[in-house]
Amino acid sequence: MIKFQNVSLIYPTAQKTILDKLNFEIGEGEFVLLIGETGIGKSSVLRLINGLVPHHTGGILAGSVEVGGISTRTVRPGQLAELIGIVGQNPINGFVTDVVEDELAYSMESLNLPEDTMRKRIEEVLDLLSLNQIRNRKIATLSGGEQQRVAIAAAMVLHPKILVLDEPTSALDPVAAEEVLAILQRLVHDLGITVIIAEHRLERVIGYVDSVIEISADGNTRIGKPEEILKDSKIAPPIVKLARALKLPEISLSVRDLRKQTEPIRTSGKDVSPTQETLGRNVIQTKDLSVKYENKTALKPISLEIKSGEIVALMGRNGAGKSSLIKALLDVVKYEGTITKPSVKIGYIPQDANDLLFHQSVEAECAQTDRDNSLAPGTTAALLHELAATVKIASHPRDLSEGQRLALVLAIVLAPKPDLLILDEPTRGLDYESKTLLTRFLTDRAESGAAVLIATHDVELVAELATRIIILAEGELVADGSTMDVLLASPSFAPQVTKVMSPRKWLTIADVLKAIE
Amino acid sequence: MRLQNNWLTVAVIALTTLIVTKYKSDGPWADSYKWALKLAALVIGIRVLIGVIIGVPVPGTELFNLPLIPLPHWMAGITLGGAVTWERISSTVIESFGIASIIALFGAATALTNPRALLRAVPPMFYEVAMVLVIATTLTPQLVSNLKRIRVAQKLRGINTNRFLSWRQIAMPLLEDSLARALDLAAAMDSRGYGVSRKRSKYRPHKFQIKDAVVIASSLAFLAVSI
Repeated sequence: MIKFQNVSLIYPTAQKTILDKLNFEIGEGEFVLLIGETGIGKSSVLRLINGLVPHHTGGILAGSVEVGGISTRTVRPGQLAELIGIVGQNPINGFVTDVVEDELAYSMESLNLPEDTMRKRIEEVLDLLSLNQIRNRKIATLSGGEQQRVAIAAAMVLHPKILVLDEPTSALDPVAAEEVLAILQRLVHDLGITVIIAEHRLERVIGYVDSVIEISADGNTRIGKPEEILKDSKIAPPIVKLARALKLPEISLSVRDLRKQTEPIRTSGKDVSPTQETLGRNVIQTKDLSVKYENKTALKPISLEIKSGEIVALMGRNGAGKSSLIKALLDVVKYEGTITKPSVKIGYIPQDANDLLFHQSVEAECAQTDRDNSLAPGTTAALLHELAATVKIASHPRDLSEGQRLALVLAIVLAPKPDLLILDEPTRGLDYESKTLLTRFLTDRAESGAAVLIATHDVELVAELATRIIILAEGELVADGSTMDVLLASPSFAPQVTKVMSPRKWLTIADVLKAIE
Repeated sequence: MRLQNNWLTVAVIALTTLIVTKYKSDGPWADSYKWALKLAALVIGIRVLIGVIIGVPVPGTELFNLPLIPLPHWMAGITLGGAVTWERISSTVIESFGIASIIALFGAATALTNPRALLRAVPPMFYEVAMVLVIATTLTPQLVSNLKRIRVAQKLRGINTNRFLSWRQIAMPLLEDSLARALDLAAAMDSRGYGVSRKRSKYRPHKFQIKDAVVIASSLAFLAVSI
């Protein structure tokens, strides 16, 4: 169905090759996952499939990409619309109209399909993706999962044979992610469509896919069954890392299989007593804090306090009030109730780290931070060196890798030594390595007496990082407790290690290793 | 219809307000009527103020008297200050109500027209232009919310965002973000077959109905009569 032969991609102005001699073949009706470190060119590979690269982006393409017998070199992406549907990383950016039904009609209008065909196909796809309830809704008012489904539906109306998705679940909460993946699996099984996705959170998708393509940093490409590839791949979900750490003879990708293999460990392992946190003073305290927008209550009265040394994970579906709570704590939105923060310095890392950066070089960004906070010149740069020694001080912030940029933003925010650090979903698009980095920095900070509040959907990160979890739903506080208690209480929030090791109370691989010492 | 008839203009404004509150959409342009009314009020205010200060003497009931400021001879015919009469104020008020009603009518037209619905009604030859307008109307509110988001992030970084000179630090991320969005949209349109077929079909096209014809005909007739 899809054939990459010796595919290389270079942008004339860039220093390095984006892709180097890629070779692989994907058959019909396969569900394929593309893995590789951030910045390795996964998005480019996906966009090569329908010719957006290089037709839309420029760049020099060597080798050949054949899709359904057609070379993408000779046709424009639009001409392949009936063969390939593509859904970008941020579906909201790709919507052309504002109502669901019109959005579904858009591609068919472009291809001049007759009106009765359009009506038929729209009904069809509304049923296929269970969108009938929201067919007349404004797209802007939909949740992230619904928007993702609309984007898939908009691609499906042309009856493509191939569907390509770039990080389809990275912005979604665990439940919405499951919904989207189940739909993709149904498309593969019921309609025989070939689905290709790139995703960082392997733990979410690995159970669904038939094969995995791994692009390594040295330019090697491997394609194979998930078990084969993940046996020794650099990137692996927690379940595989657990199997590796326990030195099991073979790895398994389902919780059930691994449970069978780890039966003796569960019976013989010791209990791990959670390390007693010595909690400090109250850093921030709210009393009956609520937030209202024009006519909608975003946050119902909430009373909580965060103490120094705590790492609090703020979880909940999109639209549950996480952002409103953060905005109120940051004092950038009107709220009712009281927030007590006795001379607390707050550091804030927004969802899009780029919002903070505007200088031409890393050096200038660091100097700006020193000036803004009247620190001794060089303080921020020194901190950055401590966090990520490889960052070149003269490079442009946009040229940094995802992980390096995170380090830069952390250095900028941490330099004035905030007592409370607030992070708003920082893990979008971060690979496992960057997440490990983040975990290390934040744990360090908390140990030296700062408090951390992090909003995220990433349960695996939370299991590694947080000491306490707050869950919001519909603007109400539904759970507030230690990481262990909250994660164990809800099946949709349980991390993979816990699912395997239940009913033992082990959250991370480190816990398990400690238990069998 | 003469605009000088103030009861009529007040009635026109009241009627449009009624129609707008009843039928306005929930799009970002729905507030434009409110802004049009504010603009109209401002226009009335300015017109009356000017009418009081500079004015043609109109005889009648004197309300109060401003000191008369002598002007050079080449500005004969204009007086600054002088007696302000009830008739003088009321005539400026009536006059400015006419302008206000026109502004209100334009505001109402903007508030009631969904640009996307308009897109469905435009003939194919104007499609490209209309498309650009529609995308612009979608992106403007997004731009405003991005701007707010970036300001908050930078304020919390400890940078003074209120300085006039701070435009560059806001503009850089904003511009990058907008460009990225535009490229995303272009890529999405490109891969969804935009421009592949020379002719476009329309899903749920807007069909002219009898009531549309009635509205247009009666408006034309009314226009003819008033001229």
